[in-house]
Parts: sequence; C-alpha cells; structure tokens
Amino acid sequence: MQQIRDFIEDQFLIEFDESFPETSDLFKEGVMDSFGYIQLIRFLEKEFDIKFSEQEMTANVMVSLSLIEKTVSRKLSESITD
Amino acid sequence: MCGIAGIIDPSRFADTLVNDVQNMLAQIGHRGPDGAGCVVDNGFALGSVRLAILDPDAGQQPFSDPSNRYWLSYNGEIYNYLELKSELEAMGCRFQTNCDTEVVLNAWMIWGPDCLRRFNGCFSFALYDCKTESLYLARDRFGKRPLFYVRQGNAFYFASEMKAFLAIPSISFEQDAGQLASILCVWTPLPDQTGFKEIKSLPMGQWLTLKNGELTTESYAELRFDEEPQPDDEHAAQDLIRERMNRSVELRLRSDVEVGVYLSGGIDSSIVALLAKDFSTKPLSTFSVEFDDAEFDESSDQQLISEYLGTRHCAERISYQDICDQTPAAVYHAEVPAFRSAFVPMYILSDRTRREGVKVVLSGEGADEAFLGYDLFKETLLRTSWDQLSGEVRRSRIQELYPHLAHYGPEDTAAMTGLYQQFSKERMPGLFSHELRFQNGQFSTRLLKDKNTPLAAITDLISSTPDYDALSPVEKAQWLEYKTLLPGYLLSTQGERMSLAHGVENRCPFLDPDVFSLATAINLKFDDGLREKRLLREAFRNRLPDRIIEKRKFPYRAPDAAAFAKHRPDYLDLVLSDAELAKLPFLNAAFAKRLANKVLTKPASDISTKENQTFLYLLSISLLHRSFVRRETLPLATLPPLEKVINLQRETAAQERPYLSHGNLSSLT
Repeated sequence: MQQIRDFIEDQFLIEFDESFPETSDLFKEGVMDSFGYIQLIRFLEKEFDIKFSEQEMTANVMVSLSLIEKTVSRKLSESITD
Repeated sequence: MCGIAGIIDPSRFADTLVNDVQNMLAQIGHRGPDGAGCVVDNGFALGSVRLAILDPDAGQQPFSDPSNRYWLSYNGEIYNYLELKSELEAMGCRFQTNCDTEVVLNAWMIWGPDCLRRFNGCFSFALYDCKTESLYLARDRFGKRPLFYVRQGNAFYFASEMKAFLAIPSISFEQDAGQLASILCVWTPLPDQTGFKEIKSLPMGQWLTLKNGELTTESYAELRFDEEPQPDDEHAAQDLIRERMNRSVELRLRSDVEVGVYLSGGIDSSIVALLAKDFSTKPLSTFSVEFDDAEFDESSDQQLISEYLGTRHCAERISYQDICDQTPAAVYHAEVPAFRSAFVPMYILSDRTRREGVKVVLSGEGADEAFLGYDLFKETLLRTSWDQLSGEVRRSRIQELYPHLAHYGPEDTAAMTGLYQQFSKERMPGLFSHELRFQNGQFSTRLLKDKNTPLAAITDLISSTPDYDALSPVEKAQWLEYKTLLPGYLLSTQGERMSLAHGVENRCPFLDPDVFSLATAINLKFDDGLREKRLLREAFRNRLPDRIIEKRKFPYRAPDAAAFAKHRPDYLDLVLSDAELAKLPFLNAAFAKRLANKVLTKPASDISTKENQTFLYLLSISLLHRSFVRRETLPLATLPPLEKVINLQRETAAQERPYLSHGNLSSLT
C-alpha cells in the first residue's frame, strides 16, 4: 500500500504526518479536485489491476488514504477469493 | 473614461495638497492621457485624469457648479445622460456643456444620492460639498468602475486604482494573509477586499459619505431577481431580448469618438457587433486575440463574424513568449492576485486597439451571468436534482457538462459520478452552487502558512444580504457570480484594468439594468436550462450565421503555466528561489517551491487546473509584492498635460466665496 501513499503525496504535494493524518478527507482539505480524483482512480485500477464499480465510487469510500487503502485491500482479497 | 484621486485631511493647507494629488494622478495617468486637473482647498484636494469621449473640448475636471459649492471628479459614462438632462432642464437646470459630467453634478444637486438609481452606466465619482464639508464617493451597480480608499486617522485618500497610493509615503501596501486566503479560495477579491491591509474597495452599488470625520456607506442597488413579470410566452421573451439589447447597444454607442467591438468569436460579442453595425454609419472596427496554441484559439469564428458583418478586423496573435513578456506589467495594472493568465492577452489587445486609433470598445461581458451561459449553472441544476435522476441521466448530464475538460470524458464518467455524489448535498451553507469551485480553491490556500478561514468572509457577505436565502439555487449561483468572478476578475483584472492600462474604455451592453432584469424574468421559464443561453441564441437566430448560433460556450482561456515552463522568464526566480520566497512572510515557502517546481518541470498534461491556478496566484502575489510592497521595478509615473489647477485659497478672495472650505484649520492654527 506504500505506492498509494507515495502517489498521493507526490501528486497532491502533501505529506502525511501528525498534522495531516491518513484519515484526512482529501476533498474537504482541498487536496484533491475532480482532475486529481480521476487521476487517482486511474492509478489504482492500473496499479492493482482492479476495477471500481460505480456503486463503490458513489459510496464515499475513496475520500481519505485510510479508506482508499481499506477499499483496495478488500478488492484485492475479493479477487483472490474469487 | 478617466481616473480620479483625492485627499481629505483637515490638518493640511491647500498649498501642501497640490503636489500630493498631482503625484497620485501621475500614477494613474494611463487612465486619462488626454489631460489632468485638480482643485485644492484647505483640507481637501480632488483631481482627475481624463480620457475625452463626450464633448472633448469642454469636459475638463474637476467640474463645479457656478457657485463653486460642489466639486466633482468623475470617472465613467452615464449612457442615459441625454434623457436625464432633459428631465433636469425641465426642472430648471441650465447646462454649459454636452458632457455627462455636468449631468451627474446637476442630478446630485437636484436628487441627492437618489440620482444613483437613475443612472444607467458605468461610473465612480467623488463629489465634495464645500458648504457641508462632506465628501461623497459612489460606484455603479455592477462594479464596472473601481474606487479604492484608505483611512489614516483624520486623513482620507481615494483613487480609481490603488497604485495612486504609491505617491503617499505613509500608505503601506502590506498584503493581508486573511484576505489572500479568501481570494485564493473564492478566486477573486470580495467587493470590499483588495488583498492589502490598509486599502478598501468601495463595493458596487454603494455610496460613501465622509463628514465630520465620520464615514458611512449605504447601498442603493441590491441585486434582485424579482423585479419584472414573466412575459406571456417565448416569442414575447425573444422580442423583449432584441428590444432591450438594441436599446442597450444604441445607448452605449453614444460617443464623440469611434466605438469598436471586442470580438471573442462567441455568441455574446457577435450579437454586440451585429447591433453595433446596425447603428453605425461608418465601418465598424473589431478587435480579437488569436492564439498560436490551437487549444485556446477562436480565430476562425472571429473571422467568420468579421466577414459576415464586413468589419475592419484587427487580430493580435498571442504566443507563449508574449504571455511571459507582458505578465509583470499586466499584474501591475491588475493590482490583485490572478488565478489565470487570460488577462494578459487583453492587456496586449488594448495596446493594439489604442494604436489603431480606437479608444472605446463594446464587449460581451455580463451575458453569461445574466442568461445562464456558464456550465456552473448547469452543474448547479444537475446537483440540485441529483437524487431524483436515474443513473443513466446522471451519466449523460455529466458528460455534457465540461466537454473541454478531458477528465469529464466518457471513460471517467463512473468516477465522476462518484465525485458528484459527494457534492449532491449542501455542505457549505448558502454556497451550494460553488462548492466544487471553492473546494478546489482550498488547495490554493496551501500557499499560505496560516490558511485562516477562507470562506468566512464570503459566508459573512451572504449572511448580511437580505433575501439571499429566498433565492433559488441557480439564482444564488448568479448572485455569487455577480459579486465575485464578474466584478473581481472579468470586469476588472481582465476588463477595465487591462483596457485602461492603454487608455481604452470598455462598455458592456449585457450589463444594462433593463437587460439584467429581463433575463431574471425569463431564465428557466421556457426551458430546462440545459442548453446554455438558449433564448438569447434563438432571439438572434436569423441574424447571425448558424455556426455562431449553435456554437457551444467556449471558455476564454490562455496558456497558463505551460508558457512559463517553456520560456522560463527571469522573474520566475521570485517563485523558485528560497531567498525570494522568504521575502513574503505569510507564504508556506516549502509548498510554494514544490508546486512551482512541479508545474514548471512536469508535462502540461500532468498539471491540474487547480495547480495551474495556484501557480498563477503564487506568481501574481509575488509580482505584486515586488511592485507594491517593495516598490521595485515600478514604471515611471507621468502626469498627463495639466488642463486645470484651481487653488481655492489663492484664486478667490474669501469674501467672494459663499462656500469657503475651512476644514478644521481655524482650530489648529
């Protein structure tokens, strides 16, 4: 999951630390906009060879690093189970 | 068009004020290169620089009534001045000139501040009443003409542009981190903001009184959406559009010098050019910017209209190099931070316009706000009805929203649907329509060490606006546009500050009060708003080429960071060097440098809109700091030829003056 953190830090010019925890809402903090969001989704789908359903993307699960990591882990384990 | 400046200071004698007011005028000489004038007395000085448009031989300012009680420095045009003049003549007023300046003065003398509601035009003025020792400042309803002021103890300074205050050493230009946070988030200064701590802007539609050291401001023109009844049907609506636009353009062609048209290639300026051509007896001149970069270029549509109407067309082609070369000068004239570079080509275009011998132009600004031309309005409609729409409709509407942005394309629609889901409920009270914009704007506030509360000022503004809550979501969106982007950038930074930098006056037929009130009565009454400006297009369908009528809104933009990345002008040191960044104490220098490095080194396709914007903010804030705070690289101030200097203390014996201004000197001396 380090690559997700690296991507977000690099793309959005931030560093996760005590003042900016992994649970921060990237939209509310003004870190991510529509362009960045699309970049992030494209990156995750390519990097982990997964595909997000529209339902997943509309369920507010992709707004913070911790939620994104959780979602990606879940999808990866699902694909292994499948 | 003109520039005005003045000083109220009861502790100063007339003689000592002459130099100061003339030095202030010299700083804004570009606004009125045809002549300068001032009047001074103990305690007050009033001045103006003049761009002679109406009755050029008789309009020297400051202008006074025969008794010398009232003195007026006036910037602007009252388009309905002939009608007002007839009304005033019927009431017994006698006029010596054919200038609207004299009409403004008489209107104030007869009606007082109530005259402001009668004015159809763009104006700001200062009027001093020697009898009551009161100063009045006023500004037009849409904020077309600027007016700034500074208060220091008993001293009060005002001017059309802030750079006039550079002539007063005691006035500091300290950048205000709190205001900057709001500007970065909202895109523009709010009506009373300037970005500088000590300097205020008089908001649009207000007048200010300074009397006995007490300062008050009052509104005379609130933005209302319920002042006109809905027409019976769509045909009646279209007839009214044609009628009001005809009248508006006819009024705005009142001038004793040639009037040209800025042609963007879109429907709005094409309508303006068409109607101007209808009323012109001489060949019409049109002016446009073209771009080397095809992404921004509309020259084929500009040429189509020019040929269709048979205009004398002048096009200025803009390269990346031009953007780099002219940005510092354009920012100096803009005076406030800018979020994009599109104002720079307008600076270059006004220079060309003036060299072509034209000093008045009409343009299409105000049409998108009035007739719902922006995608923002469609986005507001979509998000408002989100919960009622099927997934299929949501997807198709998203794809139609911003076709010029690649990430709104079909392959990313699912992800975009997810994004919009998050913005389907109001999260920022009263600001629903602008939440995506302001959310993105918060990224730019990372330039500041202390982000403060960037939305506090605009939240206060809407909270203090009567009846704002009762507006519909789209009307709120319009209201916000009329108070932020339109006056704070389009009319100022991209509009009159750029045109007046080269002595060109711009007039906007879509900002006629009757056109605005008609638009409020017909918007969304005969359609669902999904085809932007549909009624306006249909009203002129048979008068313009179909290609223009059918053309989708093409946002006017110019090359942003890519231009600077390519040519690397020397002044980029301001945003790349640690030593330079350290000069701006409020800046988060580490983030600023990281952003600048990314924007200037990565491929343009990797740079998001908000990063582009943030870079432009950083660059413009740094350039403003260099010019205004550090007062480096300032252009030479030149006073236009002096036409009129009146020292009321010297020129008239006290006993002959019924309204001698004493200020408080008697108590001081």
